Amino acid sequence: MEKKKNKKGLIAGAIGLAALVLIFAGIAFAFRKKPVEGSKSVTIEVVNQSSESENYQIKTDAEFLRQAMEDAKSQGLTFSGAESEYGMMVDTVNGIRADYTLDSAYWSFYVNGEYCNYGIDEQPVMDGDKFSIVYTQAQ
Amino acid sequence: MMGLMTAVIVVCKELLNFLPNIELVSFWFIMFTLFFGWKIVFVVPAFVVIEGFLYGINQWWIMYLYVWPILVLAAYLGRKQDSVLFWSILSGTFGLLYGALCSLTYLLFFISEKGARAGLYAVFNWWVAGLYFDIIHCVANFLIMFFLYTPVRRMMEKMQFISKPDEKERKNE
Repeated sequence: MEKKKNKKGLIAGAIGLAALVLIFAGIAFAFRKKPVEGSKSVTIEVVNQSSESENYQIKTDAEFLRQAMEDAKSQGLTFSGAESEYGMMVDTVNGIRADYTLDSAYWSFYVNGEYCNYGIDEQPVMDGDKFSIVYTQAQ
Repeated sequence: MMGLMTAVIVVCKELLNFLPNIELVSFWFIMFTLFFGWKIVFVVPAFVVIEGFLYGINQWWIMYLYVWPILVLAAYLGRKQDSVLFWSILSGTFGLLYGALCSLTYLLFFISEKGARAGLYAVFNWWVAGLYFDIIHCVANFLIMFFLYTPVRRMMEKMQFISKPDEKERKNE
């Protein structure tokens, strides 16, 4: 009797977990960032370790930041990094390396002053966005 | 034994690092809690300190200070359960809520930086951005526990007998 009750509880638990997964997937889908297609004016600012900044103002159809950064190459922006399962992990911008393991520093990405929640391959680009790529020393 | 447990967890974590949110850390913490009980209390801080040395102490490290103890506590409270489904659900639930648990640290940082309203908004966005990874974490944890629990438990039971021959003899009597 006790065993049967326990089994029922476990099945209910499994169903509950599956329902929670579906709810979470629904939240993720409902609140996902939707990229806008079309011509967008975007500013990319690079701030180096001396707090000197360079601005690149581009018109782009990029849906995600990486493509916008590729487009900014025509104005002199350079960047590189290691490809990972999360997309490119940028370690060098305009020839300046900020590799966490080697330099105890990294490139922080901001959109309109807020820390980017996505990697450059998934960060959506909206018309009027200002991206900042900031050399950040680990504390 | 505690050093061995820590080594197993760290090595397994590093080996699977290339897979996003697919890990054996949760599995081993649960299994070791079931087999070694309170001794796990020393393994959790050892693991957290080693990870801090490996990757540098930052915001993520603060999360480690409470997420793994929460898992171990949950496993300890349910230690009398012997159902593979129970442990799979527990491990899967931990994976699914991992981002939410970690967001508590960011909540404090964001609120102190931006104020309550903007902080809550920022942490909600942070949590939503990682939800698909939490779902991967949940499914992976569930399946890992579902398929490994029985064989690993049997193996560990055998190893216990090897290390404690007296018990084996007593059982055979």
